[in-house]
Amino acid sequence: MTAPNGPRYGLRYVAVTVVFLFFLLGPFIIRDEYYLHVLVGIFFFAYMTSAWNIVSGYTGQLSLGHSALCGIGGYVSTLLFINLGLTPWIGILVGGLAATVVGVVIGYPCFRLRGPYFALTTIAFAEILRIWVENTDEIFGIELRGAQGLLVPLKGQSPWLFQFTSKVPYYYIIVAMLLMVMAVTFWMEKSRMGFYLKAIRADQDGAEALGINSTRYLLSAMAMSSFLTALGGSFYAQYFRYINPERNMGLDLSIEFALMGIVGGQGTVLGPVLGAFLLNPAGEISRSLLGGKLMGLHLVIYGLVLVLAVMFLPKGLIQPIRQFVRRVSGRDQGVAPAAGTGGAQATAG
Amino acid sequence: MKRIPFILGLCVIVLELSGSPVLAGEKVAEVNIGVVLSLSGVAADQGLQTKTGATIAAEEINAKGGIPVLGGAKLRLLFSDSQSKPDVGASETERLIQRENVAIMMGAYQSATTTVTTEVAERYKTPWLVTGSVANIITERGFKYTFRPNNKATYDAREQFDAIKGLTQEFGKGPKTLGILVEGSDWGKSHAGIVRILAKQMGYEVVFDEAYSPGTADFSAQILKMRTRKPEALITAMYTPDHIVFNKQYQETKLELPYGLHSVGGGSEVPEFYKAVPPESVRFMFVQEDFQIDITKVAAWTQPVEQKFREMLGYDLSAYGAQGYSAVWTIYDVLQRAGSLDKEKIREAFATTNITSGPALIMGWQVIHFDKDGQNVDAHGCISQNLNGKRTTLFPLANRPKGVLPVWPIPAWKDR
Amino acid sequence: MDPIILGVAVVNGILLGGLYGAVALGLSLIFGVMRVINFAHGTFLMIGLFIPFWLWQLFGISPYLSVIVTAPALFALGYGIQATIIAPLFKRERAMVLEPLSVLLLTAGVGLILDNLALMAFGPNVRGVQIPFASKTLWIGETLNINYARLFAFLASVAITVALSLFLSRTDLGRSIRSTAQNRDAAALCGINVSQIYNVTFGLGCAVLGVVGCVMIPFYYVSPTVGLAFGIRSFITVVLGGIGSIPGSILGGLILGVVESVAGQFVTATSASIFSFVIFILVLFFRPTGLMGMKV
Repeated sequence: MTAPNGPRYGLRYVAVTVVFLFFLLGPFIIRDEYYLHVLVGIFFFAYMTSAWNIVSGYTGQLSLGHSALCGIGGYVSTLLFINLGLTPWIGILVGGLAATVVGVVIGYPCFRLRGPYFALTTIAFAEILRIWVENTDEIFGIELRGAQGLLVPLKGQSPWLFQFTSKVPYYYIIVAMLLMVMAVTFWMEKSRMGFYLKAIRADQDGAEALGINSTRYLLSAMAMSSFLTALGGSFYAQYFRYINPERNMGLDLSIEFALMGIVGGQGTVLGPVLGAFLLNPAGEISRSLLGGKLMGLHLVIYGLVLVLAVMFLPKGLIQPIRQFVRRVSGRDQGVAPAAGTGGAQATAG
Repeated sequence: MKRIPFILGLCVIVLELSGSPVLAGEKVAEVNIGVVLSLSGVAADQGLQTKTGATIAAEEINAKGGIPVLGGAKLRLLFSDSQSKPDVGASETERLIQRENVAIMMGAYQSATTTVTTEVAERYKTPWLVTGSVANIITERGFKYTFRPNNKATYDAREQFDAIKGLTQEFGKGPKTLGILVEGSDWGKSHAGIVRILAKQMGYEVVFDEAYSPGTADFSAQILKMRTRKPEALITAMYTPDHIVFNKQYQETKLELPYGLHSVGGGSEVPEFYKAVPPESVRFMFVQEDFQIDITKVAAWTQPVEQKFREMLGYDLSAYGAQGYSAVWTIYDVLQRAGSLDKEKIREAFATTNITSGPALIMGWQVIHFDKDGQNVDAHGCISQNLNGKRTTLFPLANRPKGVLPVWPIPAWKDR
Repeated sequence: MDPIILGVAVVNGILLGGLYGAVALGLSLIFGVMRVINFAHGTFLMIGLFIPFWLWQLFGISPYLSVIVTAPALFALGYGIQATIIAPLFKRERAMVLEPLSVLLLTAGVGLILDNLALMAFGPNVRGVQIPFASKTLWIGETLNINYARLFAFLASVAITVALSLFLSRTDLGRSIRSTAQNRDAAALCGINVSQIYNVTFGLGCAVLGVVGCVMIPFYYVSPTVGLAFGIRSFITVVLGGIGSIPGSILGGLILGVVESVAGQFVTATSASIFSFVIFILVLFFRPTGLMGMKV
């Protein structure tokens, strides 16, 4: 008997390839700078949410302090650039390392807490960092400028210094970063670490009873997530060329990541990306249509979208999409793939 | 069913045509002006007032027949919400420039937002007229397309000191010690920084110097410290909510500030602030703001403007409303001289601006012109004192109404 | 440090802390019973401040009187939102014992909607009331002064706490709430209508905010964004005092208020808030049940 999903299986690959090509050739199809800007924004949030998802989706612990890591990345790479002239390409990695250290150091005690307590503690740590930066004008002679924020000096077109006059290079960079974080997530999911994390997420005490060193795996997830989040923060700094504690380390930003991740579907590779693709444009569109007219109406709409998404898509947007894909590429034969795996195909003989 | 593609196609064509950019010499029906303001979030208050002032000005201009040199083209203000976030402001700027073909951008009140959005505008070679933002850096970057008619932060602080020195000269006595109490984010802390430098230069001793977290419900800790250290005058930078709480407590605790409470605006520029606090708590308070608060009493032509403002918002014309109004009239002047929608010509017209009369001077300035960095170096705010329930302009002397006598030093609480 | 100044700082801290505690009461109750982090808590406080404001502005009714209207109104609002929006989500997450994360998001969304509906309806302006009683001050000696309105707010906070405690321990409904908090399934087995209890609890948590709003507005202010400042502080208070413990909430508030007030004498106020967060974290690490909380 031939593979029952033969032709339909191919259809799925075609669809994925089309989407992939579309994004690859995006800037050539979409010439409008504004739409390109919107896409960069969407991809940025997709990236950040995916990085957040590595710890919050897979460990079962909700982090609401990730903006602090984003801010650390942005500040470190920018300070190195302003004070030492170090190219942000390297500064970005230093920022990532700094955030990893901070993330692990904070994560170690935090992971002893569960559920809402963990979330509240991450908020507290992020706020402490934000308030400290806001109130510090200089440290060890380095100007931090506190609440006024840092401006990345305008250098025009200088690829070596991670600055471009056109949006197109930024677009490709963020797409590449997104693909990278998705690949990392996918690899992690399939690896032993992913397997252990699943066990820990389901029942931490039980997993430990079986001999799994939960601390090690939780902290590894935290380290990866922190590093990647910080890279995104540096990207933000280079793209908008301005960072300040309120926006880049604030609670608002952390909540945005969490919202997109949960609405899209945590603990999956595609979920956060879908969440960003739903919520970011929703906010953007409602604001451009309504933002100037009735004060606050666009945020009411955004809140409504959020509430509806949470009420009717409890496992995230990924759930109905998975079902749709399954239905299109196969007649639900065999056992449906378990949530949390990368959509492995189940074929019955 | 087959009609639909045809109709759609027609719509697309129509939209395409209507969206096409207009160049010099063509008859235009409308000039698009992009306005980025905080219309939600914590600064929504000020954003709404600026929007109202701008709208009133645009209505006046359009009623008189639009921009004559452009064939009577009407001004169309496109408002958008920055949500008090720099990156959102940047997105909105992109959208307005790319999709809505604006000739000029204006806004955005919050310095952090304006810093970022003016850069976007600079990249697209679109002139940006700043409203309300005072951060020095905005006109210190060598930008060619940013124009700021209002004060830089440094001017604000300098004017406060000029007033104190001026009053000291007038009355023969003045403070030796100062206190600084500011809100703990961008605006407050940068103001404190400038005040510190000026205080040192002018020989005042700063005995109290603090920032507080925005949203503070209680100033008793700070007031207590001031009781001990006894600053003779207090300089504050507070937004409306904190200003309300502070002034109430200032009165309740009967804190003595012999040479006055000097507010550099923020909450004290907002009309509802005065409705929310007992009159005694703001008596004799000095306010530095961009706007000449009693201009409606000295310049009769401003009265209809205030009337309209009151109709729309329910309270008197504020500094932010006047900023919006002034900005749009400045744009009128610029477009008249540019004679086209070509952004380079508009930029040239901005750079050569020299307004010495007319509605754009509703702020109380004597002139609007821009130096090579886009700053109006002759911008100034006004310092007013709250006398008999009315805020009366004291400085600059050119703006002080005749027969006004300041109260200096201010009476102790027990003597009132 | 002058002992008198220190004493005054402590007194001020206590007055303010009592208020923090009252604001956090509702959160503690909701959290304790339903394990829900109500991100819209600040929003309900905002509504609780707007209602007495409008009653004063339009009809001249003193906020102290309008509590008769405000508290039930907020109860109804809380009850309604819980029953129609949050409950369905709960039923779905029935298997989860720990806090369902989606409920947290749901409350955030609801908060966003209500915040901006208020913005649309009332405009962004910051407003306050002016009540003669509120500006009067009680003087003890030369330095210590206590504002009557704040003192009254403190006393009211204590009164609400006592009333709520008695309600929970003496009445049937109160006992049902406590048993649901301890063990949802066991309570259901005893015949308690759990979803009804949830509705009432949420309503009650919001009603408390209604009372607090009435006693706060004389010396504070109201605007669509007024709730933001209290959001995180409420969480700190709740954790400090102990989830689900009513007296704990006041205690947590008092500690927070005094620490902030005293620390504010030594460092600037903005840095003092770091202290609050540090204490918060320390409590979570070393005594997660808080000072008086139930075992989670």
